[in-house]
Amino acid sequence: MRISTRGSYAMEAVLAIALLPGDHIVSIREISDRTRISDNYLEQIFTLLRKGGIISSSRGAYGGYRLSRSLSEISVGDVLRATEKSISPVICVEDPKSCRKSVKCVTRNVWCRLSKGIADTVDHISLADLVKSFEEETSPGNTEYSI
Amino acid sequence: MKMSMKCRYGLRALVDLAVFSEQGHVALHEIAKRQEISLKYLEQDFSILRRAGIVKSVKGAQGGYHLSRPASEIRLSEIIAVLEGDLLLIEVDDSEQTDIRSFLTHSMWTLMNRSVQDILHSLTLSDLVDDYREQQLGEGMYFI
Repeated sequence: MRISTRGSYAMEAVLAIALLPGDHIVSIREISDRTRISDNYLEQIFTLLRKGGIISSSRGAYGGYRLSRSLSEISVGDVLRATEKSISPVICVEDPKSCRKSVKCVTRNVWCRLSKGIADTVDHISLADLVKSFEEETSPGNTEYSI
Repeated sequence: MKMSMKCRYGLRALVDLAVFSEQGHVALHEIAKRQEISLKYLEQDFSILRRAGIVKSVKGAQGGYHLSRPASEIRLSEIIAVLEGDLLLIEVDDSEQTDIRSFLTHSMWTLMNRSVQDILHSLTLSDLVDDYREQQLGEGMYFI
């Protein structure tokens, strides 16, 4: 049971965009410098994020990527759903027809509860929340992180 | 994110065992038949569960398995940790650390791992047996 590297890298990339000031248009290279994720991998991830409506792209000399909604309107769940095949631990949670036993299955109850627990966690945390706590942690006033 | 087949089948087999071992031990081939899981597969799962102290085996022609403790004392967190290797939803990436990566690890990913662990820790095998009995009362035949 795992969130894939693709999903966690997508979160890193989206947070990297979110941490830039204002309505910044970014290039793959900028995000790659910040996250240390390869350009190639980021391109794959950005394609998924674009299809999932998390980021939008513009062409041209000043083209690049930007978040397609405000920080408070994008949740961690949105990013993971755009890049993971599913955030449910077992396929029968989302597709009861995948198993002919599913209607009357006792263990499916467990997977449904687990799935709901995970969804509740990721859907209640927005990019705005993450940016706020990231900035609180890394601000010079924070003794824990200051040198 | 997916639960392995080992884990899904193993949990189903354990609920079956908990339900049917009240009158004594249960042979694996009976569980295999009821749950439509291959016997070979179950043998592997049960050898792991036995070594972890979740089930006990009785040898001999009439041999089989039973739970090593009451179902109410066996938490799902224990079962799934044994069958999956751990309860982590996300593995900590030990490649190059960046400020963003270490922030997400200790805030987001730890939180998600904990929510999975909390849910599985709050459920025992006997909760699933209760679900099974309740469903059986509701309408005829039910699957585990």
